[in-house]
Order: sequence, then structure tokens, then C-alpha cells
Amino acid sequence: MLLLTILLPFLGFLTLGLFGRRFREPAPGVLASGLVLLSFLLVVYLALAGGARFAVGDWLPGIPFALLGDRLSIYMALVVTGIGFLIHVYAIGYMAKDPGYSRFFAYFNFFIAMMLTLVFADSYPVMFIGWEGVGLASFLLIGFWYQEWKNADSARKAFVVNRIGDLGFLLGMALLYKLFGTLQISAIREAMASSLVLPAGLALAGTLLFLGAIGKSAQVPLMVWLPDAMAGPTPVSALIHAATMVTAGVYLLARSSFLYANLPDVSYWIAVIGLVTALYAALAALGQWDIKRIIAYSTISQLGYMFLAAGVGAYWIALFHVMTHAFYKALLFLSSGSVIHALGGEQDVRRMGGLRKYLPRTHLHGLAGALSLAGFPLLAGFWSKDAIVSATLSYPFGGVGFYAVALFTAFLTATYAMRWYVLVFLGDYRGQGHPHEAPPVMTLPNDVLALGAVFAGFLALPKPLWNLIEPYLAPALAHVEVQELSPAAEWGLLLVGAAVALAGIYAGYAFFSNYFRRRVPAWYQSFERAGEQGFYADWLYNTFLVNPAKELAFFLGLSDRGLDGGYRYGALGVAALGRWLARLQTGYVRFYALLVLAFAAVFAIWGVIR
Amino acid sequence: MIHALLFLPALAGVLALLVPAWARLLGLVTTAVTAVLAFLLLQAGGVAGYTELPLLKEAGVYYAVGADGVGAVFALAISASVFLAFLAVREVPGRMLALGLLMTTGLLGIFLSYDLVLFYFFFEAALIPSLLLLGLYGGAGRVPALVKFALFTLVGSFLMLAGILAARYLGGAESFLMRDLLAHRLGGTAGVLAFWAFALAFAVKAPLFPLHVWMPDFHAQNHPSGFADVMGTLYKVGVFGFFRFAIPLFPEAFRAAQPYLLALAAITALGAAWIAYAQKDWKRLLAYGALSHMGVAALGVFSGTQVGAVGGLFLLAASALYTGGLFLYAGWMHRRFGSLELAPTHGLAKAAPALAALGLFLFLAMVGLPGLAGFPGEFLSALGAWQASPFWTLFGFSAVIAAAAYALTAYQRLFHGPPGKAVADLAGGEWAFATLAVLVVGFLGVYPKFFSAPLAEAARAFVAVLGGGQ
Repeated sequence: MLLLTILLPFLGFLTLGLFGRRFREPAPGVLASGLVLLSFLLVVYLALAGGARFAVGDWLPGIPFALLGDRLSIYMALVVTGIGFLIHVYAIGYMAKDPGYSRFFAYFNFFIAMMLTLVFADSYPVMFIGWEGVGLASFLLIGFWYQEWKNADSARKAFVVNRIGDLGFLLGMALLYKLFGTLQISAIREAMASSLVLPAGLALAGTLLFLGAIGKSAQVPLMVWLPDAMAGPTPVSALIHAATMVTAGVYLLARSSFLYANLPDVSYWIAVIGLVTALYAALAALGQWDIKRIIAYSTISQLGYMFLAAGVGAYWIALFHVMTHAFYKALLFLSSGSVIHALGGEQDVRRMGGLRKYLPRTHLHGLAGALSLAGFPLLAGFWSKDAIVSATLSYPFGGVGFYAVALFTAFLTATYAMRWYVLVFLGDYRGQGHPHEAPPVMTLPNDVLALGAVFAGFLALPKPLWNLIEPYLAPALAHVEVQELSPAAEWGLLLVGAAVALAGIYAGYAFFSNYFRRRVPAWYQSFERAGEQGFYADWLYNTFLVNPAKELAFFLGLSDRGLDGGYRYGALGVAALGRWLARLQTGYVRFYALLVLAFAAVFAIWGVIR
Repeated sequence: MIHALLFLPALAGVLALLVPAWARLLGLVTTAVTAVLAFLLLQAGGVAGYTELPLLKEAGVYYAVGADGVGAVFALAISASVFLAFLAVREVPGRMLALGLLMTTGLLGIFLSYDLVLFYFFFEAALIPSLLLLGLYGGAGRVPALVKFALFTLVGSFLMLAGILAARYLGGAESFLMRDLLAHRLGGTAGVLAFWAFALAFAVKAPLFPLHVWMPDFHAQNHPSGFADVMGTLYKVGVFGFFRFAIPLFPEAFRAAQPYLLALAAITALGAAWIAYAQKDWKRLLAYGALSHMGVAALGVFSGTQVGAVGGLFLLAASALYTGGLFLYAGWMHRRFGSLELAPTHGLAKAAPALAALGLFLFLAMVGLPGLAGFPGEFLSALGAWQASPFWTLFGFSAVIAAAAYALTAYQRLFHGPPGKAVADLAGGEWAFATLAVLVVGFLGVYPKFFSAPLAEAARAFVAVLGGGQ
């Protein structure tokens, strides 16, 4: 059953990959979407049936191909296949008339298959199959329009940067194997639970795995690939670079929570990295002008929040945010896609504005997504984000400093969310196109996502109200001791959070609704320019890492030739010595006699001295 | 059965020399048969078909052959690689193919010998066709490349010969049979010297830094079809030599040398992958890429662990398949463009999508993508190497980053970008090669146990000699 959920989309990949060109539009899209829907239904069935296990013997020596459908993986798989299905349907409309139509859906199905492998894996190497597989899918889809060098370069950048993290994952597995003699996740978990003393080196293993998560989830300092990944078609950005793949790092931390709950130092750094990322990307988002890059930086920032949650030990909240974020971020991307579609490929928000009039349905989608992201009270993003912000005070690895920065970032989040919404939908239209609303195949999936972005938060509310997610996930996650806040304190914090969000929303609205008519202060303009460049992260990498590495490649190549030359001269030296010795062969017997005598004398003297 | 496996290619090779027009067909049939025979030996288990006949009884030289798990796996990998090579080439001289068949017997002998002199015989017997392939069918700069290749190999061989003689006569064994030599191990200073004699010979043949310099020119100058490169790739038997001979015969000397060997392997792995990024020619790119793989495989074997040894040998066998496949692929590029330049055009994916897909597939195998044949060996090597030296593991395995960079760059330069020159997509017989290569490389990735289980059986003895390790 578990295997079938993976095999269905994989079958779609094979069919479309091999025979795709024989299908007429929209058959490939319908087939691909149908298979993902079937997978979704299978996952729902698994959820109702209470899970499943699957394992076949030794895949690698001592390492079975093991899959596990526990509550954690089923929860995640529901998000992947559910949101994945909606985005597949949307893409039927979005990718219409593209020459690579069936190739697109082949890759899309391949991605779902690999993502499900990642999610259901019960051993790290099996997870690594999915981990690298989704990386490959990401590479193929970012570079989907490969005829432009820029897209191809972005695709390669994503893969290579991810490989840095993957090296961490790989070595982390090597260390875990050394410590436990197995890489089966449930076995390691049991070994941890039954051992009194933690093996030395566990912190290093945790750090190495965390490095893998940093790469996949675009955390500082490996965040540079995600903004460029927007070169792919918009459904790709929604599915892979917002809703699912980039949350794999969070999933890895949650899956390994039994490790991290025992590693306070590593957890502290996870929280710090998450917070730095959240703040950095929120600031950078304020400087972006590309409709998709704004949301890309927002994704990095929101992933930072998830890492913060996982870092302080609030694993279930991290996963709660994964789910709500999947809804509103997919919605934001897909409504951006509808806007781009409507404007014939325009992506610069400076040439948008006033689209509320032309695209009423998409406007509502954008509004729901932006408000949910901003944390407008009672929407999905409000509940999950405030759960994270409050968790910095109650969970074991948290602290007041974390709380303050997280709250400030929430303000920035609301501001850039409003900036995006205002620049795109309000004011007057600043472009020259003739915007037209998207077809129903694109708006209907957004309707569903909008419902999620508004209501999904009600699955987990603060005490004394209901919380369905925490108890559901509890058996699969590590148990951490929480210093429960009193309900009064909790609701008080919630009010503070709501006030900050509203303030941010107001600030964003007030500042950007007449942005193009006002005189923007000079300091803000220079901040904006720096933000547009992601605060020069790419420049730093290129100057200090990428270009030197390339130069070094050429230099090493030359040195290798030099080594070759060294051997050559050595060989020539031997040959010269040979020629010199050959001169001894004079052909005169008297000369040979002299030599024999001379050597006899030398030996005689040597013998005497000895 | 094992004798048929061993000598059928040589027989077919002689026949093909006489009737060059039949060479390709003979090659396909012969290697198909040897593949089946190797498969049967693989199923038999133990040291299948072990035979011991005196050749020079007074000198203690025996015709001792047998196929343990390692031998059978490599016999199968060699057969499959050579079969694929025969499948891929078109319009090449028949005598060149005949030399390939002759060389196959030498290669098989290397992996199936249980007598050191016999091993030495096959080791050298494979060299002659290899030299002829380069000398007769190589490119314009073949003579310097040939001299370099021959010098490195021969110096290594003579050292090894000295090591072989020392191992027997100083160790006091009755013959050159492996079981005799293992029963009378040579220790002390003499053992250390003999070990290094072996080690140098195998480091040339692995190859390992800094004894690899013959290799880039060797590949760059060989026939552009890639046929001779496949044979050359299969001839990189140094890592196996360490596993089978150098380490079990001189375990103490190996233990002392282990840190240095691990360092050399790690430097080879990372350095070669890095250099590969800067190459602009198919053959040189693949030569350095393959070299990097050899470094990784050596890390696995030098770890002295069960899992690492299995990984190293797996990588050695599997990489012959996809690296060889890429050399042949480069040969197709040469047929299409008349040059081996990496990117004679761009945007080729538009005109030749199937060709692009095959290229990407083989490159991804080389990058070590899980699910393809390159991953199990690399991964298990990492598991083993970490137990021996975390530092050199980190150092050497950083090659996975460089590998992604060079492989994807090479792929994208040719296939991505605005459409350039149009060339033919896969056609006719090329599909046969493509299908088979994809199936084999995919199969080993999905079901690595097919190779790893027999390798593990043989690796247990290896680890037992060294005393422990997982």
C-alpha cells in the first residue's frame, strides 16, 4: 500500500517520459493529476487504517528498503499529495500550449514519487533516495525552459548548493552507522530510548544531518539557490519551492526529533539559524520587485520560523506551520501565476497595480494568501505563527531573545505581505497589457487553497480550546518537557501577536498604497537596493567561494600537467645519465682493463678499511 | 566452465584477427556467453570452479583459478561492459575489436587467478593488447602517451615481480599459490618493502595520486570511438589488487601504511573531481571523473572494514559500466560532430531529446544519485571510510559537490541553451545500447544486493585478516 502510493506517480513519470509525445493536450495533465489524486486517496485510507509498514530484505547490506506509514509521515504525505494534486490541476491550465507539456507532467509526477519516498522512508539511506530525487526533480523543473542560459544556470546552482548540504547528510549517516550499526530510523530511536548514556559523537551526527536540512530548506548560509529557483514555471515554485520540497529539512528534523531533543546545543543553533534566516529573508523580501521573488524570500523566512520551532523543541508546531504555510504559500504563488498569466509574462510589480478590477477572483485569492501570511487574526497563518512565537517562551530550548526577534520579524512579515498585495492589486494599473482572468481549471484549485489558508488554523488552537494536531503527532515525535504557560499568559501573548500583525499590515498598507507618488526617504531607498540583491549574498559567494573554486580547478589542472612535466624531466634525466654512462663503452680493451683494475683497487681499499 | 569463461574471448579474439569482418559479431556472442557463464558462477557461491594444476611444478607455479564472489562479480561486470562496448561501436577497425577480445581474457584472468605468477602473467598479458590499441589506433599524440603509459606500468610491474619473489622465497612458501603464501606471510622489514612494491604497482594501476599522470593522456589519445577507453577503464585493477593481494599478504605493513594510503585516496578523489571541472574535452573530463571514483573506491577498501571493502569493490565494478558507457557516448558525439570537444554546440536537447536523456542518466549515475549504480558503492565506501578516518572521509567525499558541478556543467553546456546545430537523435542500433545501459545501471541501483551479497561474502575473509571492523 505504501509502495503503491509511491509507484503510482512514478508510473506516471515513466509513461509520460517514454510515450509523452504521443498524448494530446490535456491528456498528460489529466493523467498526472489523476495519479496524484489516487495517491492522495491511498494516503487518506492509510490514515484511517492507522498506518502501515513495508520492508524488503537487504537493499544495501544490512540496510533494508524500509517504509513506514506512521502518523508523522501520513500527515506530511497528506500535505504533499493533497496540495500536490491541486497544483497539478492548476498546471493543466497554466502549462497549456507549452511545447514541453507532457515533459512537465512527467517531471511533476517524478517529484511527487520522490517526495513520498522521502516522507515514508524508515531508514536514512531510503530517505536519501527521495532527498536526492526531489533535488533532481527540482533541477529538471527549474531548468524546464532550458533554452535560456539563465534558467539552466539557476537549475545547476540549486543542485550544486544542495549537494553541499547532501554531503552533510551523507557523512551524518556514516557517523550514525558507526554509532548504532544501523541506519533504520525506528531502530536508532529504540536504541536511543533504551541506552542510558548517549554515545559520544551524537552531537556531530546531529549537526551533519542539520547541514543537510539547511541546504534543502534554504536556510542561511545556503539560502542563495532558492530565489534563483523562481526561474522555473510558477506551479513548480508553488509545489516544490514553497509547499513541499523545501520543507523536507523541517521534516528531517522532526523525523529525527529523538536525536535533537537530546542535543540542546545543536537545537540552540538550529533555532538561531532559523531566526537569522527568518529575519534576513523578511528584510530582503522588502527590496524585491519581482512578484515571485518577493514570495520566494518570504518562503525562506517562513522556513526560518519552522526551524526556530524545531530548534526550541516545538516539533509539532513546526509541522503545523508546514501545513498552514503550504496552503497560503501555494495560494500566493498560484495567484502570482494567474497574474503573470493574465499579463502575458510580466513579473515586475512596478508594472502591475489595480488588478483588483481586472482579476476579481484572483484578487480574493491573493488577499486571502497575503493576510494569512501576514498573520491577520483568526486566519491559518496567525495561529501557526503565533504558536511558534509563543513557543519560544514555553519550550525547553527557547528564550526571551528569540521571542523578541521572532515578534519583530512577524511585523516585517505583515509589512512585506501587504507590500506585495498593495503593489499588485491596489492603486492604478501601471502596465500596458490587457489583463484577463484565468480559466476555471486555474481558479478552482485556488478556491480550495484559499479555504485552507483561511480555516486550516482551526485544527490547532491554544488551550483551553481544541488542538487536533499535537495529540495526533505526539506518538511519532520526541517527548519534550514544556513549561506550560497559564491560559491567561498564552492568550495575552496571542493578543500581542495580533496587535503586531495588525500594526505591520497597517504600516505596509499606508506606506505602499501611494509608494509611487510619495518621496521615499534616501535611507529607505538604499536599504531597498541592498535588499534587492539579497544583501549581496550572491556577490559574497561568487567573490570568495565560487570564482576562487573555479580558478583553483584550472590551477589544479595546470599543476597536474606540471606534475606530468616533472616526471618527464625525471625521465629525461635518467636517459641523459644513460647516455653519459654509455660513453664508457669505448670499445678499447685497454680501457676496460683499466676500469676493472680501478674497481678492484676500490674494493680492496674498502675491504681493508672495513 | 570457468576455463571456457577465461579463454573463450582469447579464442574469439584470434579468430577475429584472422577474419576482422566478423569481429563485432564474435565479440557480441562471446561476451554474451561469458556473461551467462559469469552469472552461473555468481549463483554457485564459494570459490566456484576452483582448479589447481601444476604448470611448473619445480618452480611452484600453478594454473590456479576460481571465482569467489569478487571474481564472479567482476567477470560479469567485464562481460557486460565489453558487450556494451561492442554494441555501441560502429564502423571501427575489426582488428581493434579483436584486440579488445584478447585483452578480455587477460582482464578476466586478473580477477580469477589464485596463483601470483599466473596473476602476473594475466596482468602483463592484458597490457600488450592495451598498448597495441593505443599504438595502432590512437590519436596524433599517441607515441608520448604510449611511452608514458608503458613506462609507468612496467616499472610498477617489475617492482611487483620483485615483491612476488620476495613474498615466496623470503616468506618460505612452497609455491606461488595464494593459499601457500597466505599460510607463510612475510613480516618484518622485508614484508614492509614487499608491500610497498605491490602498493606502488597497484597505485599506478588504480591509479592513485601522484602516479596517475599517465591516465589523462592515455584516454585522450585512444581511439575516439571510446572502445579502447572501455578496455582501459576495466584495466584499472589497482584497488582490486590491494584488496586481493597486497593487503591480505602483508596486513601489518598495510596497517602501518594505512593513514598515508587513505590520504592519497582522498586527495585523488577530491583533486581529480575538481580538475575535471576545468576540462574541455570529453575524454579528459571522463578520465578525471573516473579517477575521482577510483579515489573513492580506494577509500572504501583502505578503510579495512567489511562495509567499506564491499563499497569500494562495488564502485569499481559499477563505475566500469557507466564510465565505460560515457566513453562510448563520447564516441557517438565524435561521430556526430567530428570532435571530442565537450560542447561543440548548445541547446541540443531540443533536437535530440533521447540523446540528452541518456547523457543525463549516465552522468547522474556518475554523480552517485541514489537509485542508480553509482550510489551503493559510493555510500558504502563512505560508511567504511568514516570508521577509519573521519577527516579524510570529509576531504575525499567533498568530491560529491565537485562531481555535481562538473557533470551538470558538461551536460548543460551541450544540451541546454538556445538551440544550436541540429544532429540526429538516437537511431537504430543506438537504442539497443541505450536501453541495455539504462537497464543495467538502473538495476544495480535498485537491486544492489545482486553484487553486494557476493562481494560481502568475499570481503569477510579480507576483514578477518585485518582483525575486526564491521
